[in-house]
Amino acid sequence: MPLLGELALALALMLALYAIGASVYGARRSAPQFVASARHALWAMFVLTTIAVAALLNALVSSDFTLEYVAAYSSVTLPLGYKLAALWGGQQGSLLLWTWLLTLFAAIVALQNRRRNSQIAPYVFAVLAGVAVFFLGMLNFITPPFQELAVPASRGTDLNPLLQNYWMAIHPPSLYTGYVSATVPFAFASAALITGRLDDSWIRTTRRWALFSWFFLTLGNLFGARWAYEVLGWGGYWAWDPVENAALMPWLVMTAYLHSVMIQERKDMLKVWNLALVGMAFGLTIFGTFITRSGVISSVHSFTQSGLGPYFVAFLVTAAVFYVGLLLFRLPTLRTPAEFESYLSREAAFLFNNLVLVGIAFAVFWGTLFPLLSEAVRGVKITVGPPFFNQVVGPLALALMFLMGVGPLIAWRRATASKLVSCFASPAIVGVAVGLALVWMGLRQWYVLAAFSLAAFVLATVAVEFHRGVGARRHLVAESRPRALANLVAKNNRRYGGYIVHVGVILAFAGIVGSSFFKTGVQRVFKQGQTVTVGSYQLKFLGLKGTETPEVEAEYARFSLSQDGRSLGEIAPARLFYPVSRQPASKVALRSTPVNDLYVVLAAADDQAQTATVEIFLTPLVFWLWAGGLVMALGTVVAVWPDVRERAAIAAMLRSDEAIAGEPAAGGK
Amino acid sequence: MIKNAKFVVGIVLIVGAIGYLIASAVKSTSEYYLTVNEVQGRLSELQDETFRVAGRVEPGTISWDAQTLTLAFAITSLPKEAAKATAPSDPVSFRVISRGEPKPDMFAANRDVIVEGRFGRGGVIEASQVLTKCPSKYIPEHGEKQVSDAAAR
Repeated sequence: MPLLGELALALALMLALYAIGASVYGARRSAPQFVASARHALWAMFVLTTIAVAALLNALVSSDFTLEYVAAYSSVTLPLGYKLAALWGGQQGSLLLWTWLLTLFAAIVALQNRRRNSQIAPYVFAVLAGVAVFFLGMLNFITPPFQELAVPASRGTDLNPLLQNYWMAIHPPSLYTGYVSATVPFAFASAALITGRLDDSWIRTTRRWALFSWFFLTLGNLFGARWAYEVLGWGGYWAWDPVENAALMPWLVMTAYLHSVMIQERKDMLKVWNLALVGMAFGLTIFGTFITRSGVISSVHSFTQSGLGPYFVAFLVTAAVFYVGLLLFRLPTLRTPAEFESYLSREAAFLFNNLVLVGIAFAVFWGTLFPLLSEAVRGVKITVGPPFFNQVVGPLALALMFLMGVGPLIAWRRATASKLVSCFASPAIVGVAVGLALVWMGLRQWYVLAAFSLAAFVLATVAVEFHRGVGARRHLVAESRPRALANLVAKNNRRYGGYIVHVGVILAFAGIVGSSFFKTGVQRVFKQGQTVTVGSYQLKFLGLKGTETPEVEAEYARFSLSQDGRSLGEIAPARLFYPVSRQPASKVALRSTPVNDLYVVLAAADDQAQTATVEIFLTPLVFWLWAGGLVMALGTVVAVWPDVRERAAIAAMLRSDEAIAGEPAAGGK
Repeated sequence: MIKNAKFVVGIVLIVGAIGYLIASAVKSTSEYYLTVNEVQGRLSELQDETFRVAGRVEPGTISWDAQTLTLAFAITSLPKEAAKATAPSDPVSFRVISRGEPKPDMFAANRDVIVEGRFGRGGVIEASQVLTKCPSKYIPEHGEKQVSDAAAR
């Protein structure tokens, strides 16, 4: 089986090289049979990488310790689910998963564009195959997943206990899916630049892909934060670690892109900017892998420091030169006559939202690379920690919230004063009222007041939009309110899906602000029977209890929990010990409500004295971060749902494309 | 293009504001990030500074009091750096004390750690934070050397 996997990867690399040649040749010489064969090569690549993945999974499940990878990331006692998840537990497997996703998406693109986009499709195939060549090259020559051990190991070293958690099953695949799917818009943008077909057809074709990528980047970041929250036991969920930043940056740029694209579709402006954003998003996904894999920047996550760095840098530089070169070459044809007319316009709001989003991405990039830069310039490593990121991103997030309220409602081109008042008067009143109410309740931090006021303002604008839409529908057709609402969203899913995403962002933002400003913690050494009161909760220590299985030894500290005298049952944070890898880990006890989260960590347990040293955090509103994330995901699903008009437009595009392809000698240039 | 000119003002203002935020935040939050040997070389500069130091936990120096959550250990140069040092004088190490924080799960002798803190009395680093690296791969200590050797290749 391992040999089969190795062989499949070698063949896939050859096919990828062939696909580049065949598609480019086919496009230049108007030889559709070559383009067709490149398409088939992409499908075959997917089959081959699937075989490689299956071979590695098989080795993991059957505990084949002749393989270095299996010995390093698995063990006989590892539960089946984690054996499968060990596929992305280490570097080689992660890159294999990456490559598999890339070939999967390439195969889908090849399928979708059998007849569509016949002008640019060959170059799309070529770029996708080109990216695949890099990853397959790595898997074949630099970091082979099927490396055998000189002496087979008797047992494996086990998967890191911190990874033995159900989030392991969903966080890395989500993030990778988000990362890798960003390649598709990049391939289309590159192809549009190569062929000079720079109308917005490439944007319309990749809108879903961009949203798909954004959806999974959102979930990937969210799951990662949740994982850190549940497993690492420090009561927080985000530490501005380089690896986290690497996942955040493409998300920010992709968010900017999803907005600025609307300006191009509507006003034919910002073409260069959109192309640049797509290129940046792709570059940042590769940069992210580079950071996680190279160990160049010291991170708490620094996975194995490996020699992959230079290859990633080389690939990144090649891709950047290629793309920027194309962009400069096409610059003269990308100039547009359209212009911004007024600061009080939707175009302007979107432009500024883009600047702020890219500004945040740049600040995160700068802070992440700062140790490297300072070492290069001043000869000494200087680092900036979480305070840097909070100081910079905090105010920019407020600006973003404000623009999020203004952008969707303000008129295109130029808003008149009366229109502004009619749109924003009630939301502004709501925002101010919420702010005043909070002051009256005793809140004094200006940031918190501004944040919650803006959040209320944005929610009110969305409510106004929904209310107005429902009213308009009911004016035209006799419908009940819920029915009108459902039809409104169904008929304009893109727009209202976007609003739902905004509501999610606001909820998540409120969760972040609440948990950042109002988190409290206490630390106690408990003897049996002792109690402590935290907020409205009372905890009483009942004693320690140990359990043992071959995979894990656990010591639980049992507490009875009650709230305002009402019993809520028992909670038991634990210290775990994994004998195979000789690693301790902790298991957090969590009680989550919309008001606050009670988070109990067993820092140490003393068997002799029967005492437990416990940290207890009370984190207000953090619930809304996760809830908001789910609302964002839901909104994205609504926004990508196929709608009737779009389907008709695509069908029309397809027909015209076929008409062009049908003409003799039209496929040439 | 003329109308776009007035937007240039707005764009420049926003970009400038972001740049200012970054610059001022760098100024107020940056701290040295040094190796153990570099700390030794900059002792006088670091007396009143918060800094980060990366090194390895020296075996046999760890003491952990679970009642008070007090962790004390010595941090020493990473082997890479120790080998680089031209004068093999005394091996450089500093005593570190961390109070009121749980012992990180991954903390153990010979593990790589990053300590954030400042010098307190007697040249002891008073840590505000002890970060352990979280490698996805374990290099086992003894007994399974073959695996780690192969993995290191």
